[in-house]
Amino acid sequence: MSERSPADATTRLVVGPFNRVEGDLEVRLEARQGRVEAAYVSSPLFRGFERILEGRDPRDALVIAPRICGICSVSQSHAAALALAGVQGLEPTQNGRTATNLIVATENVADHLMHFHVFFMPDFARGIYADRPWFAKAEARFKAAQGTSVRRALETRTTLLHILGLLAGRWPHTLAIQPGGVTRGADARDQMRLLATLGAVRRALEDHLFGAKLERVAALASVEEIEQWRANGPEGDFRLFLEIAADLDLGRLGRAYDRYFSYGAYPGMEAPLYARGTFTAEGPGAIDTGAITEDHTNARMEGRSRPHHPFEGSTLPDPDDEEGYTWCKAPRLGGVPFEAGAVARQMVDGQPLIRDIVARSGGSVLARVAARLVETARTLIAMEGWVRELRPGEQWCAQGTMPSRGRAAGLTEAARGALGHWLKVENGRIASYQIIAPTTWNFSPRDAAGVPGPLEAALVGAPIRQGETTPVAVQHIVRSFDPCMVCTVH
Amino acid sequence: MQGLETFYEVMRRQGITRRSFLKYCSLTAAALGLGPEFVPQIAHAMETKPRTPVLWLHGLECTCCSESFIRSAHPLAKDVVLSMISLDYDDTLMASAGHQAEAILHEVMEKYKGNYILAVEGNPPLNEDGMFCIIGGKPFIDQLRMVAKDAKAVISWGSCASHGCVQAARPNPTRATPVHEVITDKPIIKVPGCPPIAEVMTGVITYMLTFDRIPELDRQGRPKMFYSQRIHDKCYRRPHFDAGQFVEAFDDEGARKGYCLYKVGCKGPTTYNACSTTRWNEGTSFPIQAGHGCIGCSEDGFWDKGSWYARLTDLHNAGFGIEANADKIGLTAAATVGGAVAVHAAVSALKRAQHKGDVGHQGDAK
Repeated sequence: MSERSPADATTRLVVGPFNRVEGDLEVRLEARQGRVEAAYVSSPLFRGFERILEGRDPRDALVIAPRICGICSVSQSHAAALALAGVQGLEPTQNGRTATNLIVATENVADHLMHFHVFFMPDFARGIYADRPWFAKAEARFKAAQGTSVRRALETRTTLLHILGLLAGRWPHTLAIQPGGVTRGADARDQMRLLATLGAVRRALEDHLFGAKLERVAALASVEEIEQWRANGPEGDFRLFLEIAADLDLGRLGRAYDRYFSYGAYPGMEAPLYARGTFTAEGPGAIDTGAITEDHTNARMEGRSRPHHPFEGSTLPDPDDEEGYTWCKAPRLGGVPFEAGAVARQMVDGQPLIRDIVARSGGSVLARVAARLVETARTLIAMEGWVRELRPGEQWCAQGTMPSRGRAAGLTEAARGALGHWLKVENGRIASYQIIAPTTWNFSPRDAAGVPGPLEAALVGAPIRQGETTPVAVQHIVRSFDPCMVCTVH
Repeated sequence: MQGLETFYEVMRRQGITRRSFLKYCSLTAAALGLGPEFVPQIAHAMETKPRTPVLWLHGLECTCCSESFIRSAHPLAKDVVLSMISLDYDDTLMASAGHQAEAILHEVMEKYKGNYILAVEGNPPLNEDGMFCIIGGKPFIDQLRMVAKDAKAVISWGSCASHGCVQAARPNPTRATPVHEVITDKPIIKVPGCPPIAEVMTGVITYMLTFDRIPELDRQGRPKMFYSQRIHDKCYRRPHFDAGQFVEAFDDEGARKGYCLYKVGCKGPTTYNACSTTRWNEGTSFPIQAGHGCIGCSEDGFWDKGSWYARLTDLHNAGFGIEANADKIGLTAAATVGGAVAVHAAVSALKRAQHKGDVGHQGDAK
């Protein structure tokens, strides 16, 4: 769907619907001389969860909010539980927190595996790359739904999700996470089963994805090391990815603002596994959640007069709005767009390889995908430790009482990045419930000042080959964010 | 696309061996509750019948049905079913993108006119001319009507397509509407649950592809083979219910002993689904086993029947320790969740008619 015009004139291109992303997405591009000049990202699906939650028993958020998304349901449930715990002034028990970490981490690792094998890599098995030296391997391993690695990863993921079966009853749409902990304590037998499951997943990843111990991946510290890995590292899909990334220069594709933030992932006794904070050109910093706002200028939403903090926010769709081009609001931190995701978590936490990649050539498709793989290794190692920390027989869920009035934010990290629920309770019912999901940040539209969201910025400069209507570079950039469109607008 | 292939030819092309194929046939028979004598019959059908394409559309939804589906218990069954489906159209998993995908959709519809199965995940929102769910620049409702027009049958995956689900909860901001309310001239198989169990999904689709007919449905349009029992009927905590032993709060003494979750809101007594028998994540567990009550996600209207966490305080522990009272308790449960009572009664009546003298259903046969 493109209007062809003279060579140097601006071409308009609508890319979408996208497949292999969660939910619906459309991107409008303006291109000139084979490069994207401007991008407009549109989320065409709206359901109105925030409205549906209003007026209900606050605890029902534990059932309704996870149903925003069948992929990130655990993260949504965790954010809801944290918001409810905040209103009740309740601290989860230590056992409950450890089990919750395991539950959230399982989903996040499962999502990372799904993203790499099922959503991201199959693009390199397309005919357009048939002349590349790595193509035969990419095709055999990653052809959509058929490649050997795709199938194997789905099996590994299924095995991994036994953990959610065991600790949380089922997945998707798990119910076990509560404000005071979890509904089920693990016994010694469960601990053994959990370790066996994690062991099987570890083996599968070490054999096929990395070809090396997880510890070696987690300890990667510089660009030189991955260059060496590419040249003569162990055979595996990680090495294939590095080979492709070098050949296609994915380290220079899809750079956004290089401004990252994380709410901190997997709380521990003293500090979370992955630190909370921001990382910008000035280096690491603290995060001021009071400076988070949502701007509706280009969202088809009422409330366009000024940006609102989520406690003051609203979700009133305005279908007659002709200027808005998406249902997605524009979240900003301190007035500017920030990027969320595994790359943001690893940047904020100071993982040396990811910091090095970004320091040298900016946050790119390579940085985002490498961060996810390194994080997969780091998280799995941490999970094995958490299983051993579970204390069978000790308290797993603390009880609280819901006050008739109060407000709190539930902030957690989903696979795709920072997820926040802002809950206000009045007269014992939900007075307001605002959600900002990671893809809301990453795929945000322009704000009142006309500043594009991170994906919109990342697409500028992307090459479009002669005659391409769904430019493959655009696909790589879009998928490098691992978007979850159903969470984006909710 | 080549000529009309048989299922077997498709599988061969996907690299599935003869041995795996026969194993798949016996698994299918087992999954559908059929005896070994049906295995050759299934094999014969797969070898000779042209494959029925399945077109899988996504409307207003959260993708949880797809997520559940792709991890069904037996990898072989999943591979086979997935290979049949991914050949056609499913926008979460398929290889092709954008307009290329649209072209495939049209090609299949043309070539298999009147002979393909439409599987719908999610539902159409009708407010504002459908603009809350836009697929390829057009409202989803248009795509749904277009593809349904020449479909042989429609599968409504999950509670969104079957009933509306939480996105249709008050005030239903987008007027999310279940499929059967907009597609009225096709047989519709409802497979409710948020999400449905993977094995139920593969079971239903395999049955339809293998036998080229619709499974027997109950009055609400659900396949009887998976939705004829309440969670409560086969719940492993049922003896505690019968003995009047209840959890009063998550993590109390009763919770540690695995007592019944009815008083912390379990909807098992009014929910028809296979969770307590088939279980989840390859038979690992189900919500009740993880200490949380059933929320009744496969029942119509489960989203607007009052809080899931409201404590049921109107019960007295003494007094219903025996099986004969189970129905009374079931009805009490239904009453507390409002509208479910009519449904429960109706379905109980239906089941009475079906299972006369079936000792496994004393509660209903009373």
